[in-house]
Amino acid sequence: MIRMDNVALGYTKTPVLKDLNLHIEKGEFVGIIGLSGAGKSTLLSSLIGNISILGGRYQVGEYDLRVISKKKLTRLRSRIGFIFQGYNLVNRLNVLHNIMSGMLSRMPLHRAMIKWYGKEELRKGYEYMQTVGLEQYALQRSDALSGGQRQRVAIARALAQEPDLLLADEPVAALDPISAEQVMEILRTINNQYGVTVVSNLHHLDFAKEYCSRILGIAEGTVVFDGSADELITSDLDRIYGTTTHDNKSIDRKEIDIQSLSDADELILRQKKHKDQLYIEPAAV
Amino acid sequence: MDEAQLKKSVSPFRGRILVTTGILCLVFLASWYGTEMSLHSLLSGAGYMKEYLIGNPELAGSSFFPPSLIAADIKTYCLAMLETLEMAVVALFLSVLVAVPLSLLASRNIMKILLPGRSMTAAWLRRPIYLLAVLIANVFRSINEIVWALFFVSAVGLGPMAGILALAVHTSGVLAKLLAEGNEAIDPGPVEALSATGAGFLKIIAYAVVPQTMPHFISMTLYRFESDVRSAAILGFVGAGGIGFYLFDKVRAFENGDVTTIIIIIVIAVWLIDKLSAVIRARFI
Repeated sequence: MIRMDNVALGYTKTPVLKDLNLHIEKGEFVGIIGLSGAGKSTLLSSLIGNISILGGRYQVGEYDLRVISKKKLTRLRSRIGFIFQGYNLVNRLNVLHNIMSGMLSRMPLHRAMIKWYGKEELRKGYEYMQTVGLEQYALQRSDALSGGQRQRVAIARALAQEPDLLLADEPVAALDPISAEQVMEILRTINNQYGVTVVSNLHHLDFAKEYCSRILGIAEGTVVFDGSADELITSDLDRIYGTTTHDNKSIDRKEIDIQSLSDADELILRQKKHKDQLYIEPAAV
Repeated sequence: MDEAQLKKSVSPFRGRILVTTGILCLVFLASWYGTEMSLHSLLSGAGYMKEYLIGNPELAGSSFFPPSLIAADIKTYCLAMLETLEMAVVALFLSVLVAVPLSLLASRNIMKILLPGRSMTAAWLRRPIYLLAVLIANVFRSINEIVWALFFVSAVGLGPMAGILALAVHTSGVLAKLLAEGNEAIDPGPVEALSATGAGFLKIIAYAVVPQTMPHFISMTLYRFESDVRSAAILGFVGAGGIGFYLFDKVRAFENGDVTTIIIIIVIAVWLIDKLSAVIRARFI
């Protein structure tokens, strides 16, 4: 699905990332970890052709990104869902319209201009709302939702693209631990249920270890670790985060009683094996 | 920065504020004396104004009070006011048709959606289109409605049509400027998200730009409608139809009781529009 051979990426002629040799297969759930500024977002943006390729061979699907035409790039982007840290929803539009905007590349212009959806489009839109557990909020404006709910709308919008590849740029960085778990669970469901390849930047090492089948560690402008969570050892973390900082990347979890959480969303309870317990950061209690 | 420096830099009497205030005062005083403004003249001339308002007791109808209450005349003035409102409505529709596309081309961020990319060609094309749109908007709004009306009266003759065209041209320039400012203030996140899905220019405008600019658009359009009604009332002075024709006629004939009646009708109409605007604004914003 994604193939990089000796790729160098940059915004100017100076590479931000170099010597990238990656092969990502269909159906993988890849987590990218690294310090802020390490180049995680650059790597993700490069997958939708937003970053200059300074060298090497870069293939996404059947497209060679070094020589891709504008038309082909538009076609490629229509098959890649992108989830942003800041959600990037249209606040004044309701949940349904926000989700349906993911279908825009397939929708005829005259219907898109007046937001007139076909029966099949609406059925799919409803299905995606159910996938993220927001069908009861269909006609609610997105600025009336919580951060976690907004991110779920953004995921449903990405799903509406019917993507082969889902990219998530720090999807849980701005969320509380419960919402973050919900979002990661939904990404896992999409990965398993729809067979969509997921590539996500993650600040929280715990999430990367728990949800990702493969972890890429980025430091000093290149990939310094590529393997499963089990293979990630202290010396790798030292290389990725430096010798003193990686301890802070792991959430210090503490078991708490569910009764103390008055506004806990039921969705996560349905998805957790142990329904009587939740994990939450002490600072959030 | 130590505490003394901090105190100095946040003081309301710091150098930059004093200099700015001084410059503003100098500009005001220079303009006041440059235009020979004089409170003394106003106070000493107040008696003449009173005489003008009271009118000549020997000349029937020359006083502004009481207003003329002849039913047939009031009906004529109300119908003329209706014509003025119709002029403003048609002018507003025409101006919106011109102003919306012009405002999109006169917005730097929108031009980046229309012609994306960092290439020299895209940048080279964006700049002249943007500058041309701004120039057209500037020319349209720099020339007053009355001057435009004089031009159009010479082309299409006396009557409402000349007034409508004059209002439409001037208002499209003003609206293009105001709407462009609204366009440039939108959150770029949704645009980025929809661009990443491969949606085209018009679809991005429909889903990511229009919903965000709608409150600004409604507010500015209603404001211009109020302005157009007031302007349309004056355009009759140059033969462009509506209630302004009667207002100018009665002022010249010193039939001041009728002038008061016409002014009262205009004030009531503008007040009603203001109330209606408030209801519409509350609904959409």
